[in-house]
Amino acid sequence: MFQSEFKKIIPYSPYRTLPAEIIAVKPYTSLEKLFRLRLKGNAEFDYVPGQFMEISIFGSGEAPISLCSSPTDKGYFEITVRNVGSLTGALHNLKKGDLIGVRGPFGKGFPIDDFFGNDILIIAGGLGIVPLRGLIRYIMHQRKDFGEVQILLGCKSPEDMLFNDEVEQWGRHIDILFQCTVDKADPDWKGNIGLITNLIPGVTLNPMRTYAVVVGPPVMYKFVIKELLKKGIPDRQIILSLERRMKCGLGKCGHCQINGIYVCQEGPVFKYRDLRTLGEAL
Amino acid sequence: MKNKKPKFAFFDFTDCEGCQLQIVNLNTVLVELLEHIEIVNFREATSERRNDYDVAVVEGSVSTPHDIERLVKIRRQAKTIVALGACATIGGVNAVKNLNPPGIAQHRVYGDKGKNFETLPVKPIDCFIKVDYYIQGCPVHLNEVAEVFKCILAGKKYDMPNYPVCMECKMNENVCLYQKGQDCLGPVTRAGCGSWCINNNNICYSCRGLVDNPAVDAQRDILDKYGLKLDEMLAKFSLYSACGGEKYDQEIKKR
Amino acid sequence: MERYVKISKKDFYKWVDSLKKHGKVYAPKRKENTHVFRPIKDSSELDLNYISTILPPKKYYFPQKESLLKFSIKPFETAKAIQKFEEFVLFGVHTCDLAGIQCMDVVFREDPLDPNYINRKDRMTTVGIECLKPCDKHASCVSMGNHVPRGGYDIMLTEIKGSYIIHLNSQKGEDILQGHSYIKKCTQADRNLLDSLRKNKERVFKEEFIGQLTEVYTVFSKLSESGVWDDVGKRCVGCGNCTTVCPTCYCFDVKDELDLNLNDGLRYRWWNSCQMDDFARVAGGEDFRPGRVSRQRHRYYRKFKYPIDKFNRYFCTGCGRCSRTCMAKINLTETVNDLIKEHRNVSIGI
Repeated sequence: MFQSEFKKIIPYSPYRTLPAEIIAVKPYTSLEKLFRLRLKGNAEFDYVPGQFMEISIFGSGEAPISLCSSPTDKGYFEITVRNVGSLTGALHNLKKGDLIGVRGPFGKGFPIDDFFGNDILIIAGGLGIVPLRGLIRYIMHQRKDFGEVQILLGCKSPEDMLFNDEVEQWGRHIDILFQCTVDKADPDWKGNIGLITNLIPGVTLNPMRTYAVVVGPPVMYKFVIKELLKKGIPDRQIILSLERRMKCGLGKCGHCQINGIYVCQEGPVFKYRDLRTLGEAL
Repeated sequence: MKNKKPKFAFFDFTDCEGCQLQIVNLNTVLVELLEHIEIVNFREATSERRNDYDVAVVEGSVSTPHDIERLVKIRRQAKTIVALGACATIGGVNAVKNLNPPGIAQHRVYGDKGKNFETLPVKPIDCFIKVDYYIQGCPVHLNEVAEVFKCILAGKKYDMPNYPVCMECKMNENVCLYQKGQDCLGPVTRAGCGSWCINNNNICYSCRGLVDNPAVDAQRDILDKYGLKLDEMLAKFSLYSACGGEKYDQEIKKR
Repeated sequence: MERYVKISKKDFYKWVDSLKKHGKVYAPKRKENTHVFRPIKDSSELDLNYISTILPPKKYYFPQKESLLKFSIKPFETAKAIQKFEEFVLFGVHTCDLAGIQCMDVVFREDPLDPNYINRKDRMTTVGIECLKPCDKHASCVSMGNHVPRGGYDIMLTEIKGSYIIHLNSQKGEDILQGHSYIKKCTQADRNLLDSLRKNKERVFKEEFIGQLTEVYTVFSKLSESGVWDDVGKRCVGCGNCTTVCPTCYCFDVKDELDLNLNDGLRYRWWNSCQMDDFARVAGGEDFRPGRVSRQRHRYYRKFKYPIDKFNRYFCTGCGRCSRTCMAKINLTETVNDLIKEHRNVSIGI
C-alpha cells in the first residue's frame, strides 16, 4: 500500500524521499532511542499502527523502521531505533533539528477494524513492543471502542525495557490488565521473572472474542502461538508482525519475500491463519 | 572548514609497497581527497615525517619481532587503523614462506648470515592489533580505497562485500573460466574488485580472501566435474592465503 | 503498411545499418566462444547465429547499476538522477528473451510502477528473431512455449529461403521499416512458407520436460520438501550466476554513494541475488533463508510457482542460461524432471 498522498508529493519516483525533521530525541536504553519526527511543511499523513516507514540517512542508505506512534498522536510521528549498524548508528548521531528522509507508510498494519468491540491480548517480546506501542496508544486514545485489554510484556532485564515511563502508566490504568516479565533481574525487581510464554496459561480470556496480537523475536512465536491455541483462540484471531528485510517497500526488490509473499506489501502484519501454510514464515 | 582535517599516515611492513603506489595512482581523486585529509607521513609521496597522525594506513604483513613492536606503537597512536592490501589483510604473497620449514627462507636469502635475521611466520596485522577498516586486494582497487576513505571521513563502518567474485564477473559478462577448462577461485573469493583479473584474461587467485561462508564442498565437486585437481587449486590459493593457516585449511582441505 | 513484409538477405544488412537513426543499436555480437548483446556500429559486427548471450538483454532496460536519486544532505535536497533516457533498438532478440521482457513488464508495471524501467522500455524498439532449430541441451523453451513468437516485439524476423519475413507488431515497428523500397510486400506463397515452417518446427522442437506445465505447477505445489532440493543445494556453490543471467530475475539492492565532500551523492540500485548469504538477513543478524538448499528452491519457486499464483505467468522462459552458466552443472530441465518423476512415483505409491 503506497499511499496516494505520497504519490502526489513524489512526482518523479517512488524512491524519492521526503524530508522529516527530528523534533525530539529520547534515549531509552544504551542502544535504543526514540525519534519524534514531523514532515517538513507539517504535512500530515494517515497510517495504521504496525505499518513501517523507509528511513533514509543519505550516505548510509535506507532501512524499514516500524512506526511506534499512533495516528491519534497529531502533529508528529515516532520511530524507535536500535543502534545495530551503519545506518542506525548514523541516525543515533543525529540531534533535534536535523533532517532525515522518509518514504511511506508501507505495508499492512494491525487490523484495527477487526479489533473493534473485541477483547485484545497484546504480547510483546523484546523489540516487539516498538510497533505495539503504537497500537497500545491507539487503543488508549479510543479505549471505548474495545473490550477487555490485556498487555503481556517481556524483556531481557528491567534496564532493557523500552518506553518505561509509559509502561508504568499502563500498569496503573484500571481499564488495562498489565503484566511484565524479565529474563533476569536484581532482587529488588518486583515483577515476574521468566519467559513470556509462562504468563499465558494464567491469563483469563474469552477465546472467541479475543484477538491476540503478538510481536517479538522469531524464536518467541512458535511457543507463544502454541499457548494461545491451547487457550482456544482461533488462528484467524492471532495476529503477528514479521521482521524481514524490506529494502524497497514497493514489492520489487525481493529481500522481504516469504515464499511468494512480499512482506512489504502483504505484511508485515499477518493473521496466523494465513502464515500456517507459508513454509518460510515462522 | 569547521572540522580539522584528519591526519593520515602510511606505513609499510613486509610488502612490495605496491598498494601505496596504487594510492598515488588515485590521481585526481587523491588531489580531491587532500582537501579533506592531511597526509603527515607517506614515504612514497611526501618528504614529511610526523607522528601526530589520527589514521594509520598499514600496508604489509608481520614477519619479524620488530614488526610487532612497531605495529603496536602505531596502534597506540592511531585512532583508526586501516589494513591496506592483501599482505596486511590476509598475509599475502609473503606467506609462501610459511609453507616451508622455518629457517629455509633465511638461508635462501641471506645464506650463512641467515641466522642473524630473526624472522617469524608471516601473519596479517589483525593477529596483533585491532583493525578498523580492511581494504582487500593485491593490489587494492582504487574504487574501494576511495569508498573506505569516505567511510573513515564520515565515521561510518565499511561493509565489505560478502558475495563471491562471480557476481561481479557475470555482471561484467565475462566468459566463465570453468567453461574454458581453467580453475578460477572466483566462486569462493570475496568480491569488491569488479572481477578485475578476469576482465583482463587472468584467473582469480583469491587475493581478497574467502567470502564468510564459502561453499567448499560444492567447490570441490566442481573441480572434479571439470577434471581439475584440488592440489592445483590449493597451490593457486596459497599464493595469497598461505597464512590463512588453520582457518583456510579447515575450509578448503577438510573432507 | 501490411502486417507481413519481407526483405532479402542481401538488402538485410543495408537495412540494419539504417537503424542507427532510430537510436543506439544493441545486438548479439561474438565474444570468444559465445555471444553478448553489445552496441554495434554497423551490421558487420552483428552475429545472428547465436545460442544465447551471456547476459539477457535485461541489462538495457534494467541495468546492472541504475541511478535512482541524487541527494544532498545539507541543505536536504533530492533530485532526479537521470535527466534523459535514450532511444535504442534492441536487435535480434530470441523469443525466449522476449518472454523474459514480458515477465519483467508485468512486475515493473505493477503498482507502484517503476519509472526508471518504464522510461527505458518506452524508448526501446524491439526486433525479434525466430529460432529455426533447437539450440542446445540446456534450453527448455518448447516446454515453456517460448520457441515460437508470442508477441512482445515491435517486429519479428523469420528467415526463410534467402529472405526474412517480417511480422509487424506495432507502430514503432512500422517506423523502422518505412521508407525502404527494398522492403517488399509478402505474397501468399511467402505466408504459406511461414506456416509450413512453423508446422515443421512443431516436429523438430521436442518438449524438454516429461510433463505438461500444469503438472509442473502441481509438482511444485506439493514437493517443497523433496530430496531433489537437498541435492541441488548441496551442489550449489552459491556464486549467483544463475540469477544474474536469468532474464526474469529482478531482485536488487539499493545503495548510497557519497561524493568526497560527504554531502552530495547518489542512490542507486544494483542487481542482487537470492543466492547471496546476506540477501534475507536483517539488521539484527537473523537470516530468514539460510542455506543453499532453501535458496536454490526459492529461485526455482520464483519461476514455477509464485509468479503463477500472482501473475498467472511462468517466469521461466526456457532460455537455458542458468543451466549453461552453472559451474556445478545444476540443470533446470533435470531438476524439473526429477521432481515430476518423484511426484509420479509418490502418486503411484513407490
